[in-house]
Amino acid sequence: MVTMATRILTVEDDERIRTSLRLALEDEGWEVEESSNGEAALGIFRRHPADVVLIDIMLPGVDGFEVCRSLRRISNVPIVMVTAREDTHDIVAGLEAGADDYLTKPFAPKELSARIRALLRRARTAEGPLTNFIFADLEVFAEEGIVRRGSQDIDLTKTELRLLIELASSPGRTLSREVLLERIWGYDYFGDSRLVDVHIRRLRTKIETDPANPRHVVTVRGEGYKLQP
Amino acid sequence: MAARVSLRLRVSLVFGLGALVLAAGLSLITYELTRDNLLTRREETSLARVAFNATQVSRLIDAETTEQQLRDLLQNLYTPLGARPVIRFGDLWLSANPVEFSEPQIDPRLKDTVAGGRAAQMRYVVGETPFAVIGIPYFDIDAAYYEAVPLDDIAAILSSLLIALLTGSAITVLVGIGIGIWAAQRAVQPLTDIGEAAEAIAAGDLNTRLEGADPDLERLSRSFNQMASALQDRIERDARFASNVSHELRSPLMTLTASLEVLRKRETELPVRSQMALNLLSADLEHFKQLVADLLEISRYDVGAAALELEEFEVIEFVQQAARAAGHAPRVTRDPGTEGLVLRADRRRLAQVMANLLENAHNHAGGATAIHVARFDSSVEIYVVDAGPGVAPEDRSVIFDRFSRGSRYTSGGRFSGTGLGLALVVEHVRLHGGSVRVTDRPDGSSGACFVVTLPVNEP
Repeated sequence: MVTMATRILTVEDDERIRTSLRLALEDEGWEVEESSNGEAALGIFRRHPADVVLIDIMLPGVDGFEVCRSLRRISNVPIVMVTAREDTHDIVAGLEAGADDYLTKPFAPKELSARIRALLRRARTAEGPLTNFIFADLEVFAEEGIVRRGSQDIDLTKTELRLLIELASSPGRTLSREVLLERIWGYDYFGDSRLVDVHIRRLRTKIETDPANPRHVVTVRGEGYKLQP
Repeated sequence: MAARVSLRLRVSLVFGLGALVLAAGLSLITYELTRDNLLTRREETSLARVAFNATQVSRLIDAETTEQQLRDLLQNLYTPLGARPVIRFGDLWLSANPVEFSEPQIDPRLKDTVAGGRAAQMRYVVGETPFAVIGIPYFDIDAAYYEAVPLDDIAAILSSLLIALLTGSAITVLVGIGIGIWAAQRAVQPLTDIGEAAEAIAAGDLNTRLEGADPDLERLSRSFNQMASALQDRIERDARFASNVSHELRSPLMTLTASLEVLRKRETELPVRSQMALNLLSADLEHFKQLVADLLEISRYDVGAAALELEEFEVIEFVQQAARAAGHAPRVTRDPGTEGLVLRADRRRLAQVMANLLENAHNHAGGATAIHVARFDSSVEIYVVDAGPGVAPEDRSVIFDRFSRGSRYTSGGRFSGTGLGLALVVEHVRLHGGSVRVTDRPDGSSGACFVVTLPVNEP
């Protein structure tokens, strides 16, 4: 149960959706801040960073992808993309832009709450059994959320860090996409495996020396992913 | 027309026939010209020599010449190439080589002509040897000189020429057919290209265009490309429309869903009549959301915008997960050999297939009683079995139609399903290159058995 009021910034141009979402999310116990366009949202976030950002992809002016990319440049805040189209392009582009998860309209606010809780749980990984560890040439400080190669900090989002820790907690063992979806994103059945794939890709570009030929985060065909030193 | 001969075969045959006529004609002319030429030259040289021999003979004979003298004379004549001289002296016929050629072999007509006082020649075959026989009469004495010039060497030359010409003709015909096949191939190539392009478009590659077509076929390729562009435009417009419809429908549904959740949270604060209305609203909003989702899903097939998103996963694990997700499904049984079997397929779509089949069983037959996975050489079959009333044979193809609610397969009242579930099952499975059918239960009890067949392409 979340005790401290967690602030959610919703970026949505449709006023009726925005208002109804605020009502429903406040019922779930979240504090909600609203924004009707991307520029305003970025301004609000800079002044007063939220704990979670909910971004609609189709926005007037700066679109959702761009807002997402801009946010990623300044913050590792968990981002949930919202799309009204089940267009695989939109979904993958949203994840590539840095979103941690996505939902397709119409979704139940309860479902959104569950997603947000999963994202925040992972943002607070201190209670995990694995804290600080060294992997290959990487030093991972799970509690602080810092990954370091030599003297250089590698900037991972919370989801990427959680993914790395999850893979590292069973080194050399293959974890299926379903297991990763369940443990990291909190999906029981049929989560979208693209979530895992895109995040793995992003993780690779950050920690692999040659992301095209990964040596550490390895794909096991038909099974999933594993981490090897 | 009974059996159509293919264009390529016809062109090749015409080329072969043309080559045959040409080669045969040329061969015939060559043969005839060579033959005439050789014979004429042989006869000309022979004639001069025979005339010379005849003069020699005429100089040496007179009324007193004895037979022996004539014989000696015959032996001493210059007769190259095996020419055979014959002398008539009064009634006496003398031959240099009586066995090979003598008086009886001289054609009577030639004899008559010569006897008539005119020199003559004839060509005919004695035994197996062709001869040119020349006869020269003498005027001051009752005698004549004949000489048979064998032509067998020319015949030999001609027969080898004939063989050479026949061989040449045969080769020409084969080359002609070869060129015909090549030319036909070349001629048909643009059509083959168009056929392949059309197949590519039919298979969904809408960017296919014909390029660098033959100038003669420019109009065809231009109109083909226009057609392809028009088709692409239409499909893209339809897909865009579907996408816009999707957005326009989902947005108000979002507001409805969120607002309704706010209301439901305060359900207990509402008067009973409002609660009832709220429940109706909730139930039908759920139904409507599902209907919109299914309509949007199936419209992607209608506008040709449905494309597989392939990933690899274990079949058994997948089916078990699908059964758990449905909440009201039985245990999954399986054939040996399905353990660890990996399918390369669109997981989201197949999950919907399983969900729809299980929901169908739930709505019409009180839920599925068994799910079984069977393995075949190049396919897997997933059986979803229920213990309901079953599907009558005449309804078995109809129930997969959109909004078909076969009276025999209903339980009365309004459905919780959208009427598109099974139609989507068919579309999803078909997109994978598989098929779906409904049969009686294999064990003979009452109930339906839905069988989904999916191809397995093992790496």
